[in-house]
Amino acid sequence: MTKKTYVKTLAGAMALVFAGGAAQADELVIATTGGLMRNTLEEYFYLPFQEASGTEVIPFDIEVPDQWARAEGMMRTGNVEFDIVTATGPDLVDKADILVDIPCADLPNVAEYALPGACTTKGVARTTGGMVLTYNTDAYEGDQPSTWADFWDTETYPGPRGLPDTGDRDWWLPVVALLADGVAKEDLFPLDLDRAYAKLDEIRPEIAVWWKTGNQVQQIMRDDEVVMTMAYSGRALKVVQDGNPFAMAWDGAIRDTGYFAVLKDSPNPEAAMEFIDFFYGDADGHPGFISDVGYATSSTIGLRQLPEEEQKLYATYPDNYELLVDPDFAWIGENRDELRDRWTNWLLQ
Amino acid sequence: MSLQDFFRPDGRHLSRGGILLLMAPFFMLIAFAFLYPLISLLSLSVTEPTAGFDNYARILDNPVYGKVLLRTLWTALLVAITSLLLAFPVAMAMVSSSGPVAMLIGACILLPFWSSVLVRTAAWAVLLQRNGLINEAMQWFGITSEPIRLLYTQGAVVVAMTHVLMPFMVLPIYGALRNIPEDYGRAALICGAGPLRVFTEVTFPLALPGVLGGFILVFLTALGYFITPALLGSPQDMMIATLISQQLREFLDWPFAAALVGVLTLFVTAITLAFSKIFRFDRMMGGQV
Repeated sequence: MTKKTYVKTLAGAMALVFAGGAAQADELVIATTGGLMRNTLEEYFYLPFQEASGTEVIPFDIEVPDQWARAEGMMRTGNVEFDIVTATGPDLVDKADILVDIPCADLPNVAEYALPGACTTKGVARTTGGMVLTYNTDAYEGDQPSTWADFWDTETYPGPRGLPDTGDRDWWLPVVALLADGVAKEDLFPLDLDRAYAKLDEIRPEIAVWWKTGNQVQQIMRDDEVVMTMAYSGRALKVVQDGNPFAMAWDGAIRDTGYFAVLKDSPNPEAAMEFIDFFYGDADGHPGFISDVGYATSSTIGLRQLPEEEQKLYATYPDNYELLVDPDFAWIGENRDELRDRWTNWLLQ
Repeated sequence: MSLQDFFRPDGRHLSRGGILLLMAPFFMLIAFAFLYPLISLLSLSVTEPTAGFDNYARILDNPVYGKVLLRTLWTALLVAITSLLLAFPVAMAMVSSSGPVAMLIGACILLPFWSSVLVRTAAWAVLLQRNGLINEAMQWFGITSEPIRLLYTQGAVVVAMTHVLMPFMVLPIYGALRNIPEDYGRAALICGAGPLRVFTEVTFPLALPGVLGGFILVFLTALGYFITPALLGSPQDMMIATLISQQLREFLDWPFAAALVGVLTLFVTAITLAFSKIFRFDRMMGGQV
């Protein structure tokens, strides 16, 4: 019996056991952000899954914060409508109460193909990118910047720089500041905020742009507004692929993974697990999906199908993956208020 | 109610009831679309998360917020002063010209006024960027040797806001200047005053109501300005509207954002009242001599 049919049989057996939900058993509702993410998932995974399993996937477009607001409402009313939801790293900690445990070992494709750390108790990695250092390759002759220490080294690498003022910069920036100050990536957490902000004080005058959106970071790269900036790796990737003289330095990039998670009391948890397993095992979908969406999957059969040169542009390429900073989301979750206060006060001072 | 009730016995002026009736739709709109949301937001600031003035205490406790407020007042003042310096000559030119020239000046003032703020702000971003027109021109003329940082600075914000808000300054001043009888200037000249003296002792004092009207319009609008500082400024020079929006949208801290709105409202009201006390509003707006 092949793995796929094994899973199907397993799912079929489970569906029989939970026959109470039979009316909905052939539907699976997956909430993700709309646009590119939804479209590429649908093309490369939802439709093939539908064909393979007979379960109809119903995509639901929603921004992540709204999705959680709805999910919590559903928990209160007891009428849960989403099966799979999108979770960020911190969400896996914050929302653990309303998420089911993922039986990583019982999902055969996940057990076989998932990169280390990709399957966690509350979520399975969907797409992985990084907050990466990108630099203009025309700016310097000879040595190119490769670490956050180089980002801080304005004598060797002069020129205007960019940093984000959006998303999770309240811990992203302390993290890279500590790396630049010589802290090893294993010793980052708990973050020494005093030391981090002292280091951030040094770079502050060199920051020409505090970017607010993914579009903006691409624009400041293309228009030579900066010679170096932190960027979403997927956004930087598009700028590189469009032929602009930019490269990414993965040393100390902060891992940024979007997870599939399954809501408690969801209508069709069996199909949800089956889909997640299908996602990891369906080799055909990955290359197209990865190229189109700009973020790598965590299935080892995925990325390796791309040409070697292209693989190097993605976070899960083995040589890059081992350089990534693995954030301690539990610590971040517990200290969120302080992180935000420190950030706001520092920026506005 | 007969038609006569609308008028005072003299038959020419509206009666109090008539005025109220005519104003009623406007007042209802203001009450529904402005006062109600404002009051419910402000009440949020003193009821959540606990009743009392905790949210306001937070603003006072942290010097950073006071700094943002001062920076906002300072930026608005700079914008108002720059607008005034640029607008007065334009208004004078409008008054003293006629025919196609007057129309051209009017069009130059009003056309940008009718185009989207977003477009005008984006245009400034293109001009001010590192490889933009202004930087390239300065290097070509040898003023600078390499691109300097123009975009994402307070200077960029002041320049672009001045551009956006200048019509609010030109129009009241133009109104005031146009109402000054030409004879006054001529009389002063006959009495031996030079052109400069005519300006300082006749034209400018008589235009003052328009100047103050324009000044307060631009200043108050600039205080709550959001889009231009958000797009052209640096978060390090954040103004209060951007701070409020950040608290609302990003940190979902409505009560604290409401308290910031309360502080801004307090300042706007106080400044308006002070102005109307010192200078009579009706004269400023009417531009009458």
